Amino acid sequence: MKILVPIKRVPDPQTNISVKGDGTGIVTDNVKFVINPFCEIALEEALRIKEQQGGAEVVLVSIGQKVAQEQLRTGLAMGADRAILVLSDDELDAATTAALLAKLVDQEKPELVLAGKQAIDDDANQTGQILASMLDWPQATFASKVEFSGDKKDVTVTREVDGGLETVAFTLPGVITTDLRLNEPRYASLPGIMKARKKELKEIPLAELGVDAKPRVKTHKVSPPPKRAAGRKVETVQELVNLLHTEAKLI
Amino acid sequence: MIEWSEQHIMLRDALRDFIEKEIKPNLEQLEHGDTPPYDVLRKMMRTFGIDQMAKQRFERQIKRDKAAAEAKASGKAEPAEERFEEAGSTDGAALQLIPIIELCRYCPGMVTAMGVSVGLTAGAIMGKGTLRQKERWAAPLMTMEKIGSWAITEPGSGSDAFGSMMSTAKRKGDGYVLNGSKTFITNGPYADTIVFICKLDEGNDPRERKIVSFILDKGMPGLTQSKPLRKMGMHSSPTGQLFLEDVFVEKERLIGESEEAAGGRSGAKATFGTERTGVAAMALGIVEQCLEKSIDYARTRVQFGRPIGEFQLIQLKLAKMEVARMNIQNIVFRQIEMSAKKKPMTFAEASACKLYTAQAAMEVALEAVQLFGGNGYMAEYQVEQLCRDAKVLQIYAGTDEIQTSQIARSLLAGS
Repeated sequence: MKILVPIKRVPDPQTNISVKGDGTGIVTDNVKFVINPFCEIALEEALRIKEQQGGAEVVLVSIGQKVAQEQLRTGLAMGADRAILVLSDDELDAATTAALLAKLVDQEKPELVLAGKQAIDDDANQTGQILASMLDWPQATFASKVEFSGDKKDVTVTREVDGGLETVAFTLPGVITTDLRLNEPRYASLPGIMKARKKELKEIPLAELGVDAKPRVKTHKVSPPPKRAAGRKVETVQELVNLLHTEAKLI
Repeated sequence: MIEWSEQHIMLRDALRDFIEKEIKPNLEQLEHGDTPPYDVLRKMMRTFGIDQMAKQRFERQIKRDKAAAEAKASGKAEPAEERFEEAGSTDGAALQLIPIIELCRYCPGMVTAMGVSVGLTAGAIMGKGTLRQKERWAAPLMTMEKIGSWAITEPGSGSDAFGSMMSTAKRKGDGYVLNGSKTFITNGPYADTIVFICKLDEGNDPRERKIVSFILDKGMPGLTQSKPLRKMGMHSSPTGQLFLEDVFVEKERLIGESEEAAGGRSGAKATFGTERTGVAAMALGIVEQCLEKSIDYARTRVQFGRPIGEFQLIQLKLAKMEVARMNIQNIVFRQIEMSAKKKPMTFAEASACKLYTAQAAMEVALEAVQLFGGNGYMAEYQVEQLCRDAKVLQIYAGTDEIQTSQIARSLLAGS
């Protein structure tokens, strides 16, 4: 089986993000970048499938600037077999990303695309779904459990939905997007890191894929969330209730 | 080597995540509770495949030993050493030092516990032991499946390790009877395998006795391992005493299985060299952490209406710390380069590196406590722990005074 895992380079969720003065985006100087956590979960699942099935090829894809090599190398060190970097200096919207991935699916012919449900930078939660529709493949989003049939042709996915779990099944090929509780990603091991350097990392200029990358979505403004004001202590319950009523207007 | 490579940084970042999740939340227990550091160290080795690499390294070494022995027996030349990484690659050494540096940012004690077990104890057996001894005792130590102690110091013998050594071995039948007591023994309370260094008592003048080393197992009749001793710092590294009362050992436990090749003074000295090179990496971890915490504090702590980083006396401290960090890092890079080129460091050079880096770590950690003021004296801000931990770098693996005299003696001898 061949599994394609798209990964996105995003700011480390542990770091403090500040917004640029002109509201065009976030300050990226001195910010640590990592593999988007949901993408990392997708990669972990692909590696587990490979281990369980005693063989599969895990191909990583990232679309972005050359620096995304770092995240691809980390993914290779975790255990992916090879990586493709589609070079683009521009911010791409979900539809363009999905179109580029669809092109790569045509070239690579994977049986499964395993993607994170969303990236933690723009929280769009669209790429996997759009990709499935472009390919006309079945999709199972927000996966919390992935199981294959004995002949590896069918897959059953447990999804986290509002108020419970839903189980869906489809016959490969298909697209699965991963939720937070699917697994806990491994660390890149020392032998993995040493091997990663020798693995293939192919770079493709975006123009070569022949996809119209003209943005359909434009970011108008990025603004930080409102600063939390300091709290206040009250003497009695009565006072609290009064304030909730008169000032906060919550009751 | 002038900077860490992309691979090195990848390992560093992965280790930082691991330490954040597995060690930081348990730091209180590791430092002040009764939790020995071994389980979390094993988990780290397993998680990063360090145990597997150690196993492979061991198997290659054994294969080389066997090939060399066969070549010797048949009168052929020794086979050339096989290379498993690109010639001159700095990765082997760098990737071994990075876990030391990263652990030392939080828990230098854990590095001490690991270093003594994997580095010194297994190292002593791998250096001078027979093939059988390596397979039986060194292999499980290298993966930390078993915990090791390397026992040289005694209540009456510290810097003068060999001169004042009282522990003895006496021949008895096919084996030996061992007696003596050892102290300040890292991992002593928990060790499964102990390398015990003593003098062979042939009824001769103690000063002329041969130095021999034996491998002991936990629970041998006559061997007592004390509870952990209370100490100034390095609380996450259990330190204890060992008491040997008429412990009988077969010859198979004598390192090298020969009184002549048994390590002796030169064997123990080779171990001192290894011990010393580890200290620079430990110092780097402590200094990096102290500096980062100090910068952060200087930026955010406000007194007299402005961040204390705006005061020149605070700036002076930060600048001095940065100079120390650069120097120590350069020493670590030099060690990595030399190891990659298979150039051994002279004993005097290793001493100089150890002396400087230990002193610098102590100075930086003390300055960090001062910079933090009252908060620095409180455990919550961690610098007081690193400060207590740093002190031992100037004492163990040869005191500052011993390093100093060894450097000077080497200069005067013109070597």
